[in-house]
Amino acid sequence: MNTIRHWLVVIVLVICYSSVKAQGDTIVFTPQWTAQAQFAGYYVAEAKGFYREAGVKVRLEHPSATQPAMARLRKDVCQATTLQLCQALEIIDDGIPLVNILQTSMNNAMVIVSKKNQDPLTQKGARVGIWSVGFGQLAMCMSIKDHLNYQWIRFAQGINLFVSGALDAILAMSYNEYYQLVQAGVEMTDKNVYRFCDHGYNVQEDGVYMKRDYYLKHKDAAHRFAQASKKGWEWAAAHPAETLDIVMEYVNKSHIATNRLMQHLMLKEVLRLQLDRDSKKREFRLRRDMVEQASSLMYENMMLSRKIKYQELCK
Amino acid sequence: MKNEALTYVRRKLSVRVSIWVVMFATFIFIAALSFFFFQAREAVRQEAMSHATQILNNTSIQVESIMNRVEAASNMAKWLVERHPDCPDSMMVYSRSMLANNPEFYNNSIAFEPYYFKQYGRYYSAYAKRQQDNSIRITQGGNDNYQYFFMDWYLMPQLLNRPCWTEPNMDLDALTNTSEMVTSYCQALNDKEGHFIGVINTSLSLNWLSQMVTSIKPYPKSYSIMIGRGGTFLVHPDTTRITRETIFTRTLEKPDTAMAALGHSMQRGEEGTKRMIINGMDCYVFYKPLGHTGCSMAIVCPESDIFAGFHRLYNAVIAIVLLGLILMFYFFIRIITRELSPLHRLAKEAETIASGDFGAPLPNFERIDEIGQLSHSFAGMQQSLVRYISELKDTTAQKASIERDLNIASGIQKGMLPKDFPTYPDRNDVQIYASLVPAKEVGGDLFDFYFRNQKLYFCIGDVSGKGVPASLFMAVTRSIFRTVSAHESKPDGIVKTMNQTMAEMNNTNMFVTLFVGVLDLPTGLLHYCNAGHDAPLLVGAGVGELPCDANIPVGVMPDWDYTLQEAQIYKDTTIFLFTDGLTEAMDINYAQFRMERVTNVATQALAQHQTEPKQLISLMNEAVGQFVGDAEQSDDLTMMAIQYIKQ
Repeated sequence: MNTIRHWLVVIVLVICYSSVKAQGDTIVFTPQWTAQAQFAGYYVAEAKGFYREAGVKVRLEHPSATQPAMARLRKDVCQATTLQLCQALEIIDDGIPLVNILQTSMNNAMVIVSKKNQDPLTQKGARVGIWSVGFGQLAMCMSIKDHLNYQWIRFAQGINLFVSGALDAILAMSYNEYYQLVQAGVEMTDKNVYRFCDHGYNVQEDGVYMKRDYYLKHKDAAHRFAQASKKGWEWAAAHPAETLDIVMEYVNKSHIATNRLMQHLMLKEVLRLQLDRDSKKREFRLRRDMVEQASSLMYENMMLSRKIKYQELCK
Repeated sequence: MKNEALTYVRRKLSVRVSIWVVMFATFIFIAALSFFFFQAREAVRQEAMSHATQILNNTSIQVESIMNRVEAASNMAKWLVERHPDCPDSMMVYSRSMLANNPEFYNNSIAFEPYYFKQYGRYYSAYAKRQQDNSIRITQGGNDNYQYFFMDWYLMPQLLNRPCWTEPNMDLDALTNTSEMVTSYCQALNDKEGHFIGVINTSLSLNWLSQMVTSIKPYPKSYSIMIGRGGTFLVHPDTTRITRETIFTRTLEKPDTAMAALGHSMQRGEEGTKRMIINGMDCYVFYKPLGHTGCSMAIVCPESDIFAGFHRLYNAVIAIVLLGLILMFYFFIRIITRELSPLHRLAKEAETIASGDFGAPLPNFERIDEIGQLSHSFAGMQQSLVRYISELKDTTAQKASIERDLNIASGIQKGMLPKDFPTYPDRNDVQIYASLVPAKEVGGDLFDFYFRNQKLYFCIGDVSGKGVPASLFMAVTRSIFRTVSAHESKPDGIVKTMNQTMAEMNNTNMFVTLFVGVLDLPTGLLHYCNAGHDAPLLVGAGVGELPCDANIPVGVMPDWDYTLQEAQIYKDTTIFLFTDGLTEAMDINYAQFRMERVTNVATQALAQHQTEPKQLISLMNEAVGQFVGDAEQSDDLTMMAIQYIKQ
């Protein structure tokens, strides 16, 4: 009887321990923006059960007005977030070691859009909108290098300042604000759109990052999370229509003011940006040359106190 | 079937007239109704435009009215803030007062540049917001998670360097997790030196505007939309598109230049009307900017709605006109048939008369119109016809009597001339043959011959004129020739005596051309006298005309001295005499046989050794017959041939 009771206690303790351990192993993943097709691969991985199959518990939590993605990572409210490479370099330089566990973007998506018939390269001293939360490092480097001396106007989000005529030009992501501008009736031509990737600034953007100390403690979970996310992106590339359905579920759940067409265009562009220019393949790797290029550009323009090495981002 | 219908239409005057009348009426109706419908449609369109414009103007005025209040209140607050820019606590009071004094305002914030009030750190924004229970909540609005310096409402007045209204946006209240569409009036705040120190922002809920615009529905299926500067739908009947889509969104998938043009026009703050196809329906879109909000409102009215009344009227009028035309066609046929029925009876009576019953009674229609006149005329014609037929009978009888007399006269005339050729077949000195073909029953040609004292006396003549007078003159001439030649042996004496006798009794101024010859049969010496007649041909060793002196015809001048001529006629020579009916015989083209052909025929006869009188005259008849063909001859044709055959 005592033996049976002993075993029962052991089983209960094991179950409780497993539960506690499982709770502790849940990875809260916060994409850096509100729900949209930019994060389609993660939605697919969650909806299709790829995370579950990989044996990792992942909870997707989008940032809120009171808790941006970076604030959540700093305060350990989330364990993983998506960051652009330049952002990650800034944070590491700021003293928070990060690990890139999955690189999705292989190309740069940033563009400058000027008013109709205006050429961004000739608009010296122009008032150019830039996101207040970052993302604009390469644009600043370009402004300095090309002696354009743009007057950067930091704004929270959206395109209204540009549309209302308060700005001469605006930074935009080719998968997001670019299409918002098109949707707002702004005419896009080769003249008024400047694509950084075509002018020697093809630096990778979105990747999934964790704080290095967390990563070191949860290497296996992080690995399985990254692999499942990668599988989600590969599935999304193979099934864009179904992926769009999944994206729209997340978008509608979050009451995001967007529409299916915008998300379709965004997904198409994000998937295109994931193809490496040289290999034409979805490589999911951080390129050493791009890390070094970004680090050098930012260091030379005094955005970093030191050059961040490629290895500092690696697992 | 088609032919039967055509035959029926051809046979029925009433149907034909009705078709023409209805066709003409149709043409008139089409022209008149086209003009009417065009004008009516234009009037309806103008009315719709006027109606829509009025609605848009009223809405715009209402919007401007409330916006003006916001702007006035904001100006007042700005004046107060700039008067006391160093009292942060006052900002809370000003902000609360704005809402307290203006119940329609949604929120207000008076936000300052970073570290403007150093004691409050980086952020200071006096933020007042009306609660659902209408109470006013005052908070300090800025923090690390809400850095108002980067918000549109804070940046726009700085960048544009003037007060402005922001793009309507959904304001999320984190505390109550509710959102409301608002637009904000923003003004830059400056210190006494003119330096920028912050922004005063007063928001207005647009729910009332949204509801008002949504409720605008001038026609059953019409609806209203409202878009912001970026083309975003702020009001749309499909609520799933509000704030999620712009007016351009669907044009990206399916190009629609008309919709894009409308969007750009509305974005530019223009006012106007466009006709375009929306969701497969022809629509009129009336649009106008709403005050200074940057928003533009449009009323979309399906054309079928605008013109619903017009189309009802159109269909009714067309139906009435069609029915009217059908009735008109029917009644016209009936009326015309009834009006023309006397003609039908008249036609039947005409058929009876035509069949020979000239006395058939005609109906009396007792009408004074054209049909009555026709009936009277027809009756008159019938009477005339009866009279004419009666006269015709008399005339025919008279004519038959005359023809009988003429036949008798013709017989008498023919009886006066030698006949039964050859008259003297047993003679060995001369052969004679003659023929006379009168153009009418009796003619004016004559010929005669007889023997006396070994001499052949002969003549041929042609009386002027034709018919009975000429035949009588011919009979007289022949009788005188016989009488005179019985005593006188010289041809000139015979002609002279005949001339004197006939000239004296000639009251009708008629005359006769005459050739008289006396052939001495033993010697073949021919004495002759020609009184204006055609010279005879001599056909013997050759063919030639007998020379004749120029004498006038007999019966003209009683004292004319006719000349005697003579010629030796050799054996087998034929004297061919003829009247001008031979040389002037005409073919169907009025060409004459002429003397040349007479000579040619005679020459051929000579060559063929057919110079006997009968042969020669047969050949001549044959040649003339071939020449004239079926042409009717107007003159008598007389030929006489005398061949001297004495050894």
